[in-house]
Amino acid sequence: MIFEQLAGNLVQGLVLGAVYGMATMGLSLIFGVLQIVNVGHGAFIMVGAFTALMMFQALGIPPVIALPAALILGMLLGMVIYYAAVKPLVSPSGSGIRKPSGRDAGIAVAIFISLMVVMRFLSGYYKLHTAFSIFVGLLFLYGLLLYVYGGRRQEKAAELATLLVTFAFGVILEEFVKQLFTSEARGYNWDIGKLDIGITVLPYTKLLAALGSVSIAVILYLWFNKTRAGMAMRSVVEDSVGARVCGVNVDWQYALSFSLGIGLTVTSGVLLTMFIPVGINPYMGGPYTLKAFVIAVLGGLASPYGAFFGGLVFGLIENGSYTLFAVIPGVEPFALTRFFSFLILLVILLIRPTGLLRAK
Amino acid sequence: MALLRCENVTKRFGGLVAVDSMTFEIDSGELMAIVGPNGAGKTTMFNLINGVFPADEGKIWFEDLDVTNFPAYKRAHLGMGRTFQIPRPFASASVQENIAIGAMFGSAGAEINVERAMEMADHYIEIIGLKKHRDKPAGGLTPTEKKLVEIARALAMKPRLLLMDEAMAGMNPKDIDGMVSFIRHIRDTEGIAIVSMVEHIMRAVAGLAERVIVMHQGALLVDEPTREALTDPRVVEVYLGHPPEEIDAQG
Amino acid sequence: MRRAQRYYPIIPVLVAYAMLLGYGLLFPGKWQLVAQLAFYCTLGQAFNLFMGMTGYVDFGYVAFIGIGTYGMAISIYYLYDKGLGLFIVVIGFILAAIFSTLLSLAVGAVALRLRGAYFAIATIGVNEGFRYLIEGARIWNGADGIIFSLHLKKAVGRETMMVLSTFWADVLVFTVAIAAAVLTLVFMRNKVGYALMALRMDEDAAKVMGINVTKYKIIAFITSATLAGLLGAAAWALKLTYIYPVDAFAIHYTVEAIIIVLLGGAGTLMGPIVGGLIYGVAKYFLAIVLPGFQLLIFAPIIITIIVIFPEGTVGILKKRVMGTALQKYII
Ligand SMILES: Nc1ncnc2c1ncn2[C@@H]1O[C@H](COP(=O)(O)OP(=O)(O)O)[C@@H](O)[C@H]1O
Ligand SMILES: [Mg+2]
Repeated sequence: MIFEQLAGNLVQGLVLGAVYGMATMGLSLIFGVLQIVNVGHGAFIMVGAFTALMMFQALGIPPVIALPAALILGMLLGMVIYYAAVKPLVSPSGSGIRKPSGRDAGIAVAIFISLMVVMRFLSGYYKLHTAFSIFVGLLFLYGLLLYVYGGRRQEKAAELATLLVTFAFGVILEEFVKQLFTSEARGYNWDIGKLDIGITVLPYTKLLAALGSVSIAVILYLWFNKTRAGMAMRSVVEDSVGARVCGVNVDWQYALSFSLGIGLTVTSGVLLTMFIPVGINPYMGGPYTLKAFVIAVLGGLASPYGAFFGGLVFGLIENGSYTLFAVIPGVEPFALTRFFSFLILLVILLIRPTGLLRAK
Repeated sequence: MALLRCENVTKRFGGLVAVDSMTFEIDSGELMAIVGPNGAGKTTMFNLINGVFPADEGKIWFEDLDVTNFPAYKRAHLGMGRTFQIPRPFASASVQENIAIGAMFGSAGAEINVERAMEMADHYIEIIGLKKHRDKPAGGLTPTEKKLVEIARALAMKPRLLLMDEAMAGMNPKDIDGMVSFIRHIRDTEGIAIVSMVEHIMRAVAGLAERVIVMHQGALLVDEPTREALTDPRVVEVYLGHPPEEIDAQG
Repeated sequence: MRRAQRYYPIIPVLVAYAMLLGYGLLFPGKWQLVAQLAFYCTLGQAFNLFMGMTGYVDFGYVAFIGIGTYGMAISIYYLYDKGLGLFIVVIGFILAAIFSTLLSLAVGAVALRLRGAYFAIATIGVNEGFRYLIEGARIWNGADGIIFSLHLKKAVGRETMMVLSTFWADVLVFTVAIAAAVLTLVFMRNKVGYALMALRMDEDAAKVMGINVTKYKIIAFITSATLAGLLGAAAWALKLTYIYPVDAFAIHYTVEAIIIVLLGGAGTLMGPIVGGLIYGVAKYFLAIVLPGFQLLIFAPIIITIIVIFPEGTVGILKKRVMGTALQKYII
């Protein structure tokens, strides 16, 4: 009985794991190229989840079709954040920019504002709100200050600064979405039948989510290995100085990979709602940030494929341990599973921070 | 008895062997240079000696103590000082504080309190001649001044072995001569062994070192008194890249 | 004399806290606000001791406040009928300190061996992880939390409980703030401070200078965590007389701590007070004018500070007063 249940849950875990893996690839890509940990990771997943929700509820568009929209939205968001706040802090060559051009800042702020206007429009939230105007005003002010004073690239503290900046963007997204949609949990119901494989039942939506994740991972793999653009980006991961010497525009590659990383993450938010179409709320990202970190260190923080396999492993661990904890009387299996994944994170960091699965 | 002894020290970065089975000794009070073209592995060798990262193979002794597995700070306590190829003073700390930090945590650090360290810092500021910049943040100095601050900071540690990574890179000939005599002066007054690393400033090597180790592609090529080393055909080949005929042949 | 001068910067700190306390005492109607401001200043002061001094961000910092709250709660909840009177509060503070110290040792043992990004990853789950441990294993009533107002009333009497919760708890928060400020200055003026300054700016160079970076990071981490535990015991446990894991480990408070430290100037002594006051007052008015919008307004401000004004208010002020008579007092 327990074994059948375990087997069933492991199958579910594997399917979910594929989505988890995909949801972590963006994190690893950004770390691999820029050595930046996106602490706001979960918030971008949340944006994807709301994209799927809104497209389905307001426009009746099925989540599968929402995927490209999410990718584009995410990439735009990534570009904006990169030019507005990351580029002023990191400089690929070690020397380079002290001051982003006024155009950078201007474009970034303009795009940011138009994005938010679009989001407001999509949400059907027309009433002009004072706080919203103040927020937009602050963004303008930021652009202006950046233009006047320029970013301070901090020699050794750049890491601290990028952590805090990505964290702050996560907070902005959460709070912004909260203003638009309140913090109540939402869900949608896209029923296209289910597959019964004996030990467990898999709705087609879940299978589609896993299939979508695997396809995206494969496309990414081919892109990295077979196309010029992909190879240029990979060359930056391997040796940014060398890549520069070979004529690769490292600055642009930084922007592109940050943008792609965010794009992938937002896309994965859509896929995650196909797996779990409920509980969509502005703060849903927090647990995913943590999970993504566990997965990323499982697979080696800097490797998107490592992350994908880390996701599969993590899906198995999570569902397997849940099933086992559920047998123990007097405990909360759900909470204990989350604690367990945190414990895994600490153990990996203790024994091998560069990744358990990474081939030597 | 040698001050420092390295035996078959090796370091790999992925597939690249950055330091390849280096074996050599350094005596107390010696003034020597490690030279080699860019990428020869000199900086990596320094990092291995003072423990920035561990060696993959080989052993390192400091005054007959096996320090192979010692972390960097313990090696510093034993008396290894170090300057960096690209100067790394603590940027927003003042010049005085930078040097005082060296005194506080160096080989005699345990007995030196903050006040004493500040006094010692003043002494070394005098030596490097940066008195007027004493209270300025070190990050705002010129590269040459930063180098001097680094040297003072390392000297304040009261080291018995001072490793200077390309102390003269990027300097003009006049500054190089000044630096050479400054380094000699330090050796004579402080009585410490100094290993200076030079990329290809032969003028400096000739004026500075009594002995030269030439590294090439991570390995030890030559370990000889300066005069012989500078005329050694193997060294000439390494520096020109190819023997002259070959260059001709390639057109 | 020179020695004494080195500690002059504590004067403006003490003056600031005395003024804040005095304002609260003179205008009892504003005591709530003053208590809130004191909480933010203390939060900043304690957090700054680690983040400001080492340049590492502990995203799980709230866990130490939470565990300290539990220390006080447990003391009151389990010892109320032992006839110890107010002594259970003392035991509560001791437990809070012990719990937060132990947790910081456990976290530090893993996290402090890691650099930069990996440190952040290790700490960001600490609060959530701990919350789920308490809920999952049903430790200390699990998700149901501990409600101990009745216990406290029985132990010390109704009257005492009232003044304890509404007045003395806040005074204790002030005490923690001053303790944190004094410790910060003592660190800054001694080798610990120079070691932390060096490792904050360049960890590799610091090691080569003979600094045992792990040791000094642990010192700062434990001190900061223990102060957070005491803060939780005073500001949360004694005031609220209940605790739920979901509130005690909410990342929200880490966010506030980061904002306060950055606003004021990371690594400065006065920074947390300035940051705490700006944040507290702004939040107070935003809560009236634009309820629910505080973080949406503050998050862009954090970014502005990080990217454009990394020194923070006091950092900039410090540069301004350099070479003037005020230089001795502002760090
Ligand atoms: N941290 C590192 N990771 C990877 N490769 C490195 C690292 N440090 C040095 N190398 C490589 O090791 C070789 C030796 O470098 P280095 O010791 O800096 O040479 P040198 O100081 O003689 O110019 C170079 O090919 C360099 O690219
Ligand atoms: Mg070098």
